[in-house]
Amino acid sequence: MKNALPQLRAEHGWSQGDLAERLGVSRQTVNALERGKYDPSLPLAFRIARLFGQSIERIFAAEED
Amino acid sequence: MPTPDSLRTPTQPSARRLYGLYLAALAAALLGNLLIRFSAEAGRLPGAGRAVLGIAAAAPLFAAAGLFWRLLARDLDELVQRIVLEGLAFALIVSVPLTALYLNLRAAGVGLPRLDPPDLLMAPAILVALGIALAQRRYQ
Repeated sequence: MKNALPQLRAEHGWSQGDLAERLGVSRQTVNALERGKYDPSLPLAFRIARLFGQSIERIFAAEED
Repeated sequence: MPTPDSLRTPTQPSARRLYGLYLAALAAALLGNLLIRFSAEAGRLPGAGRAVLGIAAAAPLFAAAGLFWRLLARDLDELVQRIVLEGLAFALIVSVPLTALYLNLRAAGVGLPRLDPPDLLMAPAILVALGIALAQRRYQ
């Protein structure tokens, strides 16, 4: 799954650690998400969407989209 | 941008620290096993004393198992949880064919060393560590 996390994080000037703290996950999780190695659970996807004030579909997209 | 408090959670323990705690408790149980054997051979401790020592040495492992389960079920970061679960699954899946292979080769008279209970206790811990390491690599 593709995602816009690196761009959104950069827009806010946050490090991966900053984002991890805000989401209540480990930095390893944020790193794996950004690299497309790990797809988040639905609750985490909602937390990410709320944090950035965007819909889930604008942040995450299937590879074929 | 300020973050709502509802989005913040405490720092999560790492899988490594959790596994280290479990290994320390396992080491205590193995040490107790050694002491019981030595005391039995030397005749220094009565049977009831050895039983008490056996229970006391295994107690930390029960406590660690409970803590491990609580962290795994409730508190772990979701990726760490997944890594630990994959490590446990790897250990379970791999231990069965390895055990079957060992038993068959022993039955066939191949000169394999005899495994004592402490060896059998360590095998799953080593396989879980290997499984966690493999899962960690996949998500890096």
